[in-house]
Amino acid sequence: MSALEAFFEGVVIAVSWPVIGYMAIGLLLGIVLGALPGIGSPVGMAIVLPLTLPMDATPAIILLTAIYAGAMYGGSIAAILINAPGTESAAATTLDGYPMSKNGLAKNALAIASTASALNGFLAAIALILLSPLLIEVVLAFGSPEYFLLAVLGISLITIVTQGSIVKGLVAGALGFMISTIGTAILTARPRYTFGQFGLYDGIDFVAALIGMFAFAEMMKLAAQKQIAGEDLEIAGSIREGVRTVFRYPVTTIKSGIIGMGIGMVPGSGATTSTFVAYAEEARSSAKDGKFGEGDPRGVIAPEAANNPTVSGSLVPTLSFGIPGSGSTAVLLGGILMHGLQPGPVLFDEQLQITYALFVSVFLGNVLILAVGLSIIPYASKITELDTNVIIPMVIVLSYAGAFTLNRNWFDVGAVIALGVLGFYMVRYNYSVIAFVLGIVLGPIAEENFFRSLQISGGEYRIFVHPIDRPLSFVLSVAIFLVLFGPFLKPKLEEVISRR
Amino acid sequence: MLVFLFVLGVVFFVEPLIEEYPEDARVFPQLTAAAVLVGSGLLLVRNYLPGPIRSFVAEEVSITSDTTELDDDLETAEPPESDEERVVEKETIGSEYGYEVNDTAFVVVTAIVYFFAGWAAGFFWVTPFYVVFYTLWYKVRVTKSVFLAVLAMAILWVFMEFLGMPFDQGHVFDFSPFLPDFRQFLPFFLEWGGR
Repeated sequence: MSALEAFFEGVVIAVSWPVIGYMAIGLLLGIVLGALPGIGSPVGMAIVLPLTLPMDATPAIILLTAIYAGAMYGGSIAAILINAPGTESAAATTLDGYPMSKNGLAKNALAIASTASALNGFLAAIALILLSPLLIEVVLAFGSPEYFLLAVLGISLITIVTQGSIVKGLVAGALGFMISTIGTAILTARPRYTFGQFGLYDGIDFVAALIGMFAFAEMMKLAAQKQIAGEDLEIAGSIREGVRTVFRYPVTTIKSGIIGMGIGMVPGSGATTSTFVAYAEEARSSAKDGKFGEGDPRGVIAPEAANNPTVSGSLVPTLSFGIPGSGSTAVLLGGILMHGLQPGPVLFDEQLQITYALFVSVFLGNVLILAVGLSIIPYASKITELDTNVIIPMVIVLSYAGAFTLNRNWFDVGAVIALGVLGFYMVRYNYSVIAFVLGIVLGPIAEENFFRSLQISGGEYRIFVHPIDRPLSFVLSVAIFLVLFGPFLKPKLEEVISRR
Repeated sequence: MLVFLFVLGVVFFVEPLIEEYPEDARVFPQLTAAAVLVGSGLLLVRNYLPGPIRSFVAEEVSITSDTTELDDDLETAEPPESDEERVVEKETIGSEYGYEVNDTAFVVVTAIVYFFAGWAAGFFWVTPFYVVFYTLWYKVRVTKSVFLAVLAMAILWVFMEFLGMPFDQGHVFDFSPFLPDFRQFLPFFLEWGGR
């Protein structure tokens, strides 16, 4: 099947029923979940993930992606109206969105958010479709050693991008890999670390781990947060004026979109990074006439124009190499694997139409975000009024039911609690949860590729670093070394050069 | 946390040796366990390490640090007006009687009790008690609390009916014979929905 044929087949899949219906449901769910402070896309996606088990792979993945994209916009509702970002990525929107709301321009700010978010999401989806032929070439050049090294590189990058001690990040990633080895070994039928418990023979399901790390741990965090009352919020301003404002600043919009997509493509750097970078860049370049922090509309355009392109950008490493860029894409990757799809060559060769269907649905989803986003503005405050004490028990009930549904195994439900508590403390002590989750999700793939590489090389570890036989592996190994040790070697090198 | 990770690393490293796992099943988990073991060990003794190693272990590095510093400046320079008047203190039944219970601990303890009770008696039967207890503890209105309990039961029933999950059966108590046949109400709802 040629790329063009796959593209048209992808279009047909994306616009067919019930796929388009799932996309609409996902977007609406995402907007609502994103608007609830403390919930956000990873929690919503983690809860919905086991419910997609009876569905076909394509609508399931499209549903999850739609939740992700919807939550990107939804997060801005609470950020603008009550100064409590629904998602971490909407934190930058509070800086000017909330002051705008205080200045009686809440409708303008919400309209700016939905227009900038949808417009750039729309453009980024087109860029993604145009970029895909190039991606196919790159992805097909990778073999087993490269995929193993990519998993290690992904974790290494995450430890750097998410900030904190590199060693802590590596420990978190290795811990994830380690937990993934529980259960029957991949290459031999030997049970590992089961300690005589039959329920552990299948290992800990990575979807249960995702539910624990994102849903349960988030509920623990949410319980500790103070409740913000959203009652009696007045939403003043003009929607039309808000939409016009976005088109008044085309450079800000496009520039922020490019920043969002570019950062989204870097494994480990989600929308939280991209929105702050876009905001910071706008504040720097418009410092002369800007009133940032006091309700400057460009302070809302920049982060909102960056957030949805980040979704498109993050699909690149997730689908092509299986390296997610954020918590949401980690759950999306979990969904891809759960439905028997393999990120990498298969998704860019035999199943290319699925990849294109996903890209097209991202494109269509942004049209819907604009329509829904603008029409719900007068009622937006209602969403933020939901009491967290009502949300927590319901999320826990859904988490348990979802985890049990995976394999009818009580150990999976137990894993939700155990890993939820672990995730809570990992966040508290500054360990990268994303690195840990990536380790669990990619563990079996990494182990399989690790052994396949050793089988190819006859047990020689040089296969991972041989510059002539495996130049790509060599480049990846050098990249891992530079990512891990570069920040420490750079000052020493500069010192040596300055002495000369 | 570090001691826990260190012990876990030791267990995962030693277990294949004691149980004599074949090489195919041993190498990868031992490599990852070694990484956890060495990493958590280094973090445990970081204050006693020599200069360069200490800086590698303890220093926090980020390729986005320059931007983050800028973000911090922006946030601290002109913070949005805080909205303290909207912050609502959580009231609980416990605090009414002078018992201050940590909210996070409350979530975990009730979730663990719910898990074991669900395992013993079946999630379907235990869930309404859990939802009602949790919400009433935080003084959610009784009608809302009951509605949520019914909603949670309805969700579990959908899991039972369409995915075949045995949520009505516990490992200690089996209340499944008491489960009403909710399907008989479906035509009524469908008819009602069609009006």
